[in-house]
Amino acid sequence: MEIKHVKNELLFKTNSWTFIAILIGLIIFLPISEVFIQLFNPSESWPHLKKTVFSTYLINTIVLTIGTGLLSTLIGVFCAWVIACCEFPLKKFFEWALILPLAIPTYVSAYAYFDILELSNPILIWVRENINLEAMQSLNSFFVYFFTILVLSSVLYPYIYLLARASFLKQGNQLIEAGLSLGHNINEIFWKIALPMARPAVFAGLSLVIMETLNDYGAVKHFGIPTFTSGIFRTWLGMGDMSGALKLAAYLMLLILILLLIEKKARSRARYHENSGSNKPFKKIILSRKKSIVTIALCSIPFLFGFLIPVFRLSLWAFISQDVIRNISLLSLVKNSLFLSVAVSLLTVVLALLLVFSAKYFQSKLTSFTNRFAILGYSVPGAVIAMGILLLSAQINKIYVDIILTGSLLILIFAFITRFFAVAWQPIDSGMEKNCKNINDASRSLGIPAIFSLIKVNIPLIKNTLITASILVFIDSMKELPLTLILRPFNFNTLSTATFDLSSQAQIVESSIPALCIIMIVAIPLISLNLKGKNKLQ
Amino acid sequence: MMLSLKNISKKYDDTTILEDISFTCEKGDIVGLIGSSGSGKTTLLRIISGLETPDSGTIKLNNEMVNDKLLCKSPEKRDCSLVFQDFALFPNMTISDNIFFGKGSIKNNELIQELIKFCDLENLLDRYPHEISGGEQQRVALVRALSINPSLLLLDEPLSHLDNDLKQNIRNELIKIFEKVKTTTLFVSHDIEDAMTMANKVVVLKDGLVEQKGSPSDIYSRPLNRYVAKLFGKTNIVAASHAPKSYHRFFDEFLNEDAVSIRPHQIELVTSKSLKYKTAIDGKIISKKFYGSFQEIIVKSEELSLAIHLEPERKIKIGDKIKFCMDL
Amino acid sequence: MIKNLKKNHFLLASLLVLIASAPISAQINLYTHRHYDSDKILFEKFTKETGIKINVIKGSADQLIQRMISEGKNSPADILLTVDAGRLHRAKEAGVLQSINSKTINKNVPSEMRDPDGFWYGLTVRARVIVYAKDRINSNELSTYEDLATAKWKGKIAIRSSGNIYNQSLMASLIEANGSRRALRWAIGVRKNMARAPRGNDRDQVRAVAAGLADIAVVNTYYLGILANSKEKKDRDVFNKVSVFFPNQNNRGTHINISGAGIAKYSKNKSDAIKFIEFLTSPEAQETFGKVNYEYPLFIENNKSDLLKSWGTFKADKQNLSILGIRNSEAVKLFDRADWK
Repeated sequence: MEIKHVKNELLFKTNSWTFIAILIGLIIFLPISEVFIQLFNPSESWPHLKKTVFSTYLINTIVLTIGTGLLSTLIGVFCAWVIACCEFPLKKFFEWALILPLAIPTYVSAYAYFDILELSNPILIWVRENINLEAMQSLNSFFVYFFTILVLSSVLYPYIYLLARASFLKQGNQLIEAGLSLGHNINEIFWKIALPMARPAVFAGLSLVIMETLNDYGAVKHFGIPTFTSGIFRTWLGMGDMSGALKLAAYLMLLILILLLIEKKARSRARYHENSGSNKPFKKIILSRKKSIVTIALCSIPFLFGFLIPVFRLSLWAFISQDVIRNISLLSLVKNSLFLSVAVSLLTVVLALLLVFSAKYFQSKLTSFTNRFAILGYSVPGAVIAMGILLLSAQINKIYVDIILTGSLLILIFAFITRFFAVAWQPIDSGMEKNCKNINDASRSLGIPAIFSLIKVNIPLIKNTLITASILVFIDSMKELPLTLILRPFNFNTLSTATFDLSSQAQIVESSIPALCIIMIVAIPLISLNLKGKNKLQ
Repeated sequence: MMLSLKNISKKYDDTTILEDISFTCEKGDIVGLIGSSGSGKTTLLRIISGLETPDSGTIKLNNEMVNDKLLCKSPEKRDCSLVFQDFALFPNMTISDNIFFGKGSIKNNELIQELIKFCDLENLLDRYPHEISGGEQQRVALVRALSINPSLLLLDEPLSHLDNDLKQNIRNELIKIFEKVKTTTLFVSHDIEDAMTMANKVVVLKDGLVEQKGSPSDIYSRPLNRYVAKLFGKTNIVAASHAPKSYHRFFDEFLNEDAVSIRPHQIELVTSKSLKYKTAIDGKIISKKFYGSFQEIIVKSEELSLAIHLEPERKIKIGDKIKFCMDL
Repeated sequence: MIKNLKKNHFLLASLLVLIASAPISAQINLYTHRHYDSDKILFEKFTKETGIKINVIKGSADQLIQRMISEGKNSPADILLTVDAGRLHRAKEAGVLQSINSKTINKNVPSEMRDPDGFWYGLTVRARVIVYAKDRINSNELSTYEDLATAKWKGKIAIRSSGNIYNQSLMASLIEANGSRRALRWAIGVRKNMARAPRGNDRDQVRAVAAGLADIAVVNTYYLGILANSKEKKDRDVFNKVSVFFPNQNNRGTHINISGAGIAKYSKNKSDAIKFIEFLTSPEAQETFGKVNYEYPLFIENNKSDLLKSWGTFKADKQNLSILGIRNSEAVKLFDRADWK
């Protein structure tokens, strides 16, 4: 940002709105900045980490990210294309069923498939007996990566599916018809027209998948793959070296930054492709009987793996461990989870609205600049944010001796806001950009106070976006684990912590009940979100 | 003076949008800001209204400084009102809510009621913006902008959305409204007809620079360069030596000598009976197009190629040898 | 004062109000890593007997320690409960625990299972044992932990990742017994003998043995108890295919670890907290741990659980368990150097 602009703004444009917005943005960024500051503190074990495990973490993280990214893209794009552009029996069902895996947190999916690796045992034993031990061991490592990638992809692909489907639907049929009239068949059109045009959407979905993969702790820990995230926990908690862990976290964030830059580049290059679509709905390709059967079979695989099998297994376990319900006081778990998620989603949306509005209404470059910092939290693993909060509260404790920040519900909610601010910010920002830009200029030109404009014009215009944003934050909050785990107050347990507590004590069967509750509570808004998205497009 | 701009400049990154713009509007003026797309005219409008900040220069509005080195009044505090190209009506409010949303509009109730009646909006007050036609939306936007009784009314491409038929009507309506409220008005357009019919003063912008300012008829007959001449309608740019009698000349970079602008209707075909026959130039018709109210022929004469407009009933054909003169 | 704060620091003040409701008399605040039914039963019993209410925050021990550090003097914690000695030692080093001296507790807890300075005390005992496939391995072939690094076990051992605290503690005890160079060589040897790269928890190692993927596994007795009493028949079948072996019986004894507790440095309910630890170490509470949670009592010979009895008696390593904490960080680094994932 040019210094001149900042000067201009400071001189001319600072009003109470921008001041408050900048302040809130910086407060949200505070825990993350704590992590960055720690980078400069010396770490005792850093030379050791660099010498021994760093390359393992790096390689494993990259292999997992690429594998999960590729498999998710494959599944997500295929499903999106057939659902958006083809007509076949059961399509209506798959349309929403394919989203459901998003209701399952990665750690729950890993628990549900805790024994999936056993499937490979007979093969491994056969290889050991008939070839040799080394062959079996390398095959085993392959299986570990393969199944981990499978488990992660099967619940993460819906991010790509949702965004790619919307993009395909938006493209309209004019271009497709143009392609057909130029003598291309539908396959060629997919590769040469539809997919390139959907590329920004696919990349956006892919970046979400990658972020979730990098964030995952439960699944990689269970399957024994040391990644950056598990390395952070190991260094922090195993070696008791926080600054070493934070250095690892910094490298993880560097990796994320690189990926985000690549994604941004891919998106901006493709930007001017987007406007060309007409709004006419796509004329669906009616599949032949044979093709329909193949399509149904292919669509069933992600649904089975990502949703039906885990839910079925969890239900079976829940059935044989009903007595747990009493022990874990399920009702209070549900209540706590709902309370936390609703509070977080409302507050996050209100704050995001305030910040986006201040930046856009007053065209404040400074506010947009600080907003960029506030949305960083989504790419930072929950555990790292929790570390930042712990550091922060330790410092505040030094100043305000009488106040304890950790262990209060407020600080937990604050941590969630830092983590999920981007989830609300993103849709509100684009919603306001699309719907309110000129309108806000108009009301300024008419001399209307900003607060009026916000309440009477902006909020009614982006009501749907606000609802969508709060649902998205709600879903993420329901699934979030490490933040609550580290920062929860006394006697405060949620469904996700109960799931983790039970399964970490090797009581996976018993953990099925809270896990199922998460899935059910998240699935409902997910489906409603799908219906909303569809209405908007029609 | 109602509005006075001095040396306004604006850059985005490294692209210059506006450079050293200065002009003034007197009270009651209707000023047209003319330029093709990309000439910076909309940016200038937004700078005047306060929605953008200029990099340098000063703006005085109704004798009050609103932009200088250390000051940039926010749009809410400026005594002007902007009508947007796409009208920017609040889609969630009725027409009447829209009109009365402006700050302090209640104070001007009498004026607004009069305007509503004048613009024929009485029956639309309870409808929503998407339920009325483009022309009606235009009038609502205009009344809404006038509801705060601004000293200066700004309009961004007021007629660009409309098709030709409607344009004519709306233009007349606008002129009537301007006459009625007598507010100083500055509008932006790429259409020269708008400028000529509505404005009493025109500022021509090209690539962020002022090319010429003055009354429409003045600019039409005395353009300062090829661009302005062509902007104001079909014309022939001819080296001054071909029309020794015309006194309004400008230096033309393309021809690299002094030139004159001769409109197609200003060229006269002469017959042997005419007094001018002796001084007339020989030419040959090489093409002919019929436009209804006139016909256009292209005449070739030595190195010149000229467009000439003739009355429609005149009988001519391609290949005819004719004589013409370019006296102004 | 609150009013002033409210003026200037609205957020902080409202936090204060929220927190002000924390300490009321006759309750203790517990930070615990344990999530067992046995604990729940015992807490309820304690409350019934003494009227002292118990507030619980569960979490991993390390996170809880970090939290106590960041809370400083204001920490509401009275007791920290962990499932291994190493973390208790770390808490002591971090300065979040305080030393106590109770005759009852000292009598209830053997000296090697408590901090020499009185900062923490063991509550229950778990042994890290070797299980072997009944049909393929003869117990005569097994002897010590050290023996696992010899070439005869190539491709036969299932053991979980080095990130696990029980492996780290085992490693710490081996460093103490044999020195770090030999411990590193041991880790490399075991890594080379693994049937597969480490993954899953202790139960998964037993499953690998039952499935025939490996012949022996190093696991915690507690997990065997869970498998044996699982609600799934599949798990019980797994358990029935293996036998338990207590290594190092002819020298220092089998490696054990404890679940233990320490009193928080800034505890506001110290006397009640001491009462609570006295209660947990009392013989009757010890019996509950064994029966409900498959853990050995502090005096292993007093063990009353039928399942644990069926594995036979054993000699435990008498080394003071604080060594597990002292050597923990070194153990992790040696694992990294041995490329034990």
